[in-house]
Amino acid sequence: MLYYYFGLAVRSLKRNLVLTALMIAAIGVGIGASMTTLTLFRAMGTDPIPHKSRQLWTMQIGNWPPNKVTVATGDEEHLQPQIGYPDAIALMNAHRGRRQSAMYHGGRTVIPANSDLKPFEAATRAAYTDFFRMFDVPFVYGEPWPASDDANHSEVVVLSRELNDKLFGGANSVGKTVDLDGKNFRIVGVSDRWNPVPRFFDLNTDKYGKTEQMFIPFTTAIDEQMEMWGNFNCDGDLGTGGWEGRIHSECVWIQYWVELPTAADVAQYRSFLANYATEQRRTGRFHWQPLVRLRNVREWLAYNHVVSDEARILVLVSFSFLFVCLLNAMGLMLAKIMGRSGDIAVRRALGASRGAIFMQCLTETAVVGFAGGLLGLGLTSLGLLGLRALLSDEISRLSNLDTVDITIAVALAVVATTLAGLYPTWRATRVQPAWQLKAQ
Amino acid sequence: MLKMTHLAKAYRTEVVETYALRDFSIDVREGEFVAVTGPSGSGKTTFLTIAGLLEEFTGGEYLLDGVNVRGLDDNRRSRLRNEKIGFIFQAFNLIPDLNVGDNVDVPLRYRGFNAAERQRRIRDALGRVGLSARARHYPAELSGGQQQRVAIARALAGAPRLLLADEPTGNLDTQMARGVMELLEELHRDGATIVMVTHDPELAVRAQREVHIVDGQVVDLAPPPRLVTGGGAASAATGT
Amino acid sequence: MDVYPILAAMRRNKVGAILIAVQIAVTLAILCNALFLIEQRVALSKRPTGADEADVFVIDNGWVGQPNDLEARIDGDLAALRSLPGVVDAYVTNSYPLSDSGSTEGVGTNLDPNRPLTLAALYFAGPQGIPTLGLKLVAGRNFTPSEVVAMNDYSVPKAPVVIITRQLADKLYPRGDALGKPMSMQFTKGMSTIVGIVDRLQVPWVSANGWGSKFNDNSVMVPFKLVWHGGHYVVRARPGQLASMMRAGEDKLFAVNRARVIDQVRSLPQARAEIYRDDRGLAVILGVVCAALLTVTSFGIVGLTSYWVAQRRKQIGIRRALGATRQGIVRYFQTENLLIAATGAAVGVALAIALNLWMVTSFELPRLHLGYVVAGALVVLLLGQAAVLWPALRAASVPPALATRAA
Repeated sequence: MLYYYFGLAVRSLKRNLVLTALMIAAIGVGIGASMTTLTLFRAMGTDPIPHKSRQLWTMQIGNWPPNKVTVATGDEEHLQPQIGYPDAIALMNAHRGRRQSAMYHGGRTVIPANSDLKPFEAATRAAYTDFFRMFDVPFVYGEPWPASDDANHSEVVVLSRELNDKLFGGANSVGKTVDLDGKNFRIVGVSDRWNPVPRFFDLNTDKYGKTEQMFIPFTTAIDEQMEMWGNFNCDGDLGTGGWEGRIHSECVWIQYWVELPTAADVAQYRSFLANYATEQRRTGRFHWQPLVRLRNVREWLAYNHVVSDEARILVLVSFSFLFVCLLNAMGLMLAKIMGRSGDIAVRRALGASRGAIFMQCLTETAVVGFAGGLLGLGLTSLGLLGLRALLSDEISRLSNLDTVDITIAVALAVVATTLAGLYPTWRATRVQPAWQLKAQ
Repeated sequence: MLKMTHLAKAYRTEVVETYALRDFSIDVREGEFVAVTGPSGSGKTTFLTIAGLLEEFTGGEYLLDGVNVRGLDDNRRSRLRNEKIGFIFQAFNLIPDLNVGDNVDVPLRYRGFNAAERQRRIRDALGRVGLSARARHYPAELSGGQQQRVAIARALAGAPRLLLADEPTGNLDTQMARGVMELLEELHRDGATIVMVTHDPELAVRAQREVHIVDGQVVDLAPPPRLVTGGGAASAATGT
Repeated sequence: MDVYPILAAMRRNKVGAILIAVQIAVTLAILCNALFLIEQRVALSKRPTGADEADVFVIDNGWVGQPNDLEARIDGDLAALRSLPGVVDAYVTNSYPLSDSGSTEGVGTNLDPNRPLTLAALYFAGPQGIPTLGLKLVAGRNFTPSEVVAMNDYSVPKAPVVIITRQLADKLYPRGDALGKPMSMQFTKGMSTIVGIVDRLQVPWVSANGWGSKFNDNSVMVPFKLVWHGGHYVVRARPGQLASMMRAGEDKLFAVNRARVIDQVRSLPQARAEIYRDDRGLAVILGVVCAALLTVTSFGIVGLTSYWVAQRRKQIGIRRALGATRQGIVRYFQTENLLIAATGAAVGVALAIALNLWMVTSFELPRLHLGYVVAGALVVLLLGQAAVLWPALRAASVPPALATRAA
C-alpha cells in the first residue's frame, strides 16, 4: 500500500509542477540555510575529545591580587585563563595526577638541511611527554620522548606529519635531526594529523586553529628561551628583568592539563590544589587566599564561550528562516491538498478510511520533504563553499560536512516537512465524503 | 437490502432545526431497481448520502444488508461503503490523475485485494461496460458517456451489494444517456440492486419502482401512474 | 473599498491567512534585526585607524638564531628600506593598527597603585612613526631622535615622553589640558610627559569580538626602538608604488642579510580586509539570508493567493457578471493582502523588538533603532503588494461568462 501511495504522490506532484517546485525550493532553501550554519555551530561546539573530556582537567590559580582593577583579561572572580611559571613547575613537581603537562605556544625557526627551502618559522608547542598520551595524540612514526628527556632538558622533537612531509617527504625521520634556531634536535616521533576543534587545550589564540607543527620538551623550550606566541599577561609587574626575571614573575602564559580518571581522583586533586594555595599564602607569596578552580574539557569550553556569538546569531536567524520556509511549504501544501478535496471525497466515497487518506497525503509530504532535503544538502554544500569564501580560514576550517551533518539534514527535512504537512493532511482527512454530491 | 425506518436528518443552525428528512421510511429488496424522484430540495441527495454512508443521520434506523449502521465509527463506515456500495455520480468523479484502469483500481486497493485479484476484477469490470481497450486512457481522453461507463465499472469492480446512482445521466446528452441507462438496466437484469436518484420522470419510469420524496418524506410508494411498463423491456431489446 | 466582505471571505480561509501573516511577522522580525546587524558590522569595519592606510605596508621580520648585533642589523634593515626610491619612511615596532596583536598598558595620571587605571594599547615608534603611519598630530610635537630608547630586554625601559590619542588625553585630563601633563604607566612604573596628541590611533584588536572594542581609541606611542629577534617593519611607499615596494622591500632585506625569516608582507588595506573578514562575512551572509527570506515569503504569497484565486474563480465570475470591474477585482485581492500583511507586520514589529531585546541581553548588542522596524515593515507591506499583483491580475481576467457555466 505504501508503494501505491508513493506512486500516487509522484503522480500528484507531477500534476502541479510549479507548486511542487515551489514547495521543494522553499524546504530546500530553508534546510540549506539552517544546515550551513548548524554545521558551523556544531563544529564550534563539538566535544573535541569525547572519550576523555570528563577526565581531562585544567586549573586556574588566583596568583594576582584580587582587587586589581586594570586587568583587561580574567573573569568576574579575577581569575586568569592561564597560570604562571612558578605554579606550573610546582604542580609538575608534585605530580599528583595520573598524567599532567604544563605547556605553551611558541615558535622556532626551522633551518632545513635541504637548501632549496628558506628557513621558516614553525609554531611549536612546549610540553611534557604526558601531553601525547594524555590527549591520545596519534603517531605515524616513533613515539613520545621518555620522561627522562623532560628531566634532562633534551634537545628532542616530535614533528607533525605536515612538517615531516615538508622536511622529509613523508619518510620515517625518527633518529634524524632537524636544525631549530641553529641547534640540532633529534626527532623521536612524528605525530599523525591531530587538530582537535576547538583547540581546547589552548583557547587563548585561534580557538579553532590548528595544532602546532612540532612539539619540544617544556624544559628545553625554557632553556632555549622560546618566545611565547600566545597571550602573556602580567598584573603590572614584569619581575626583575631579562628572560629569567620574566618567567619567574607572576605573569601568566602557561596552560596546564591533568588527567584524573575517577571522581575520587578529582576530589583528591581539588583538595591538593586548595592546600597548595593555602601553603602559598602561608609562605608569604600571597597576601590573600588565592582562589583555585578546576574545570574539565566541557566546562572549560563553556567557560571560554567557544561558540561565537556570530554562530549563535546565524543559527537563530537561519532556523527562523527554516520556520518561515516550512510555514510557506505548509501553506502551499494546504493549497495543494485542498485543491484536490474533490478527489479525496471520491476516494472516501469509494471506501477509503480516514487513515488511508492520511497516509496518502503524508506520503506525499514526505516525498516533498525528502526532495527538499536533497536539495537542501546541495545548497548546504554551496553555502559552506560560500562561508569558506567569506570567512576567515580559522572559521572556514570548521565548515566540513560529515555524515552526521548529512543525516541531520535529511532527517530534519523529512521530519520538518512532515510536521508542516500534518495540518494539511489532517484537513484532508476531514473532507466530507458527501462533498461531491453536495457540490453539485 | 436497504431498509430505513422513521429516519430523520436534521441540520442545526444556531437556533433553528431544519429537517432534510423526516420520518423517512423505505425498503429496497435485493435485486430491485428503484428510482427516487422529487423536486429540487426535497431531500433526494440527503437520502443518497445517508444511504451511501457518506453522512450520518439524526434519528430512526437504517439497515444496510442486514447491518444496523447507526453509530458506527468512521473506519467501519468506510469499510462498509467499500464492500457493499458502488457509487455512480452525476459528474462521474473520476480522478483525473489516474488512467481508466487505475480509477477502477481505487476501491479495490482500499479493499486490500492482491495484485492478481485486482487485475482480474479491473479487466472484468471494464469488460462489462465495454471499455476493455481503454484501460490505459486518461479520463480527459474519453467522452462523457465513456467516462460514466468507467465510473460504473469502478462501482461494479468491488462486486457491491448495492449500486447508488445520483442523476447518472445528468451530465450527458440524450444519446449517451440512453447508453448509460441501458447499461444500468442490463446490470439490473443480471441481479444488481440499484437505487437511482433522478428528477427526470422519463428515467424514473424505467425503474421497477419509483419512490417520490417531497419535503423530506416519502409521499407515494405506488408505481407511477403514467406507467408504460414496457419501457424497460423495449430499451433492453434495442440495447442487445 | 469595503473591507467587510473581504474579512468575511477570509474567515473561510483562516489558516491560509494566518500562515501568510505569521510568515510576514517572522520575516519582518528577522529582516530588521539582520539589517541592523549588517549596518553595525559594516560601520565597525569602516572605523578609521587614524593612519593614512593606503600606502602603508608591514614586513614581519625574524632573525635566525640569537645574533648579538641585533641593533646594528635592525638599523641596517631600516636604512636599506629607506634607501629604496619608492619608500617614504620606515620604522620598527612591536605592533601596528589592524594587526590584532600587541601590548596593553594601564595608564593614569599618578603613581598611586590603588587608583583605577585606563587601558591603552602600547605602540613603539621613533620620530618616524607619525609620518610613516600618516597620523595627524593635533597638539604638541613629535618625538626627537635623541628621545629614542632601545628596548632590548624583557623588561620595559622608562619612557620620559609619550604621544597619546585625543580620546585618551580627554579621558586622563577631561578639561582638555593634557599636553605637557604627566602620565603614569603601570609597567614602566614611572611618570612620562605627554608631549604630543594625535587625532586618532586605533588599538590593534578591532574585530567585533576583539576585546579592544572596549578602549578602541586609547593608544600610547612610546619612543622605543624594538631590538628583538622578531619585529614589524612598518613602511610607507610613495603613492602608486605600494605593490612594487612590497616586493622590493622583501628582496632588499634578503639582499642585506639572508639569515632571517620573513613571515609575511602585507599592506594595511590587506590587514583591514583580513581582520574584518568575519564581520563582513557575517554581513554578507545575513544579507543573503534576508534576500532568500523575502523571496521565499513572496513566493509563498503568490502560491497561496493563486490558490485562492483558483478556488474562487466561479465567485469572481459571478462578481464580474454582477458588474465588478477588473480593477475592482485586483483591488479586492490587494486589499485582502494588505489586511493580512498589516496584521503580520504589527505582530512582526513586536517580535522584532522582542528578538532584539533578547539579543541585547545575550549578545551584548545595542538596542534596535526604530527606523529599521519602520523600514522593515514598509518593505514587507510593499513585498506583499508586489507578490499579490500577478495572481490578482489573473483573477481579474476571469471572464464574467464563467458565472453562467456549471462548476
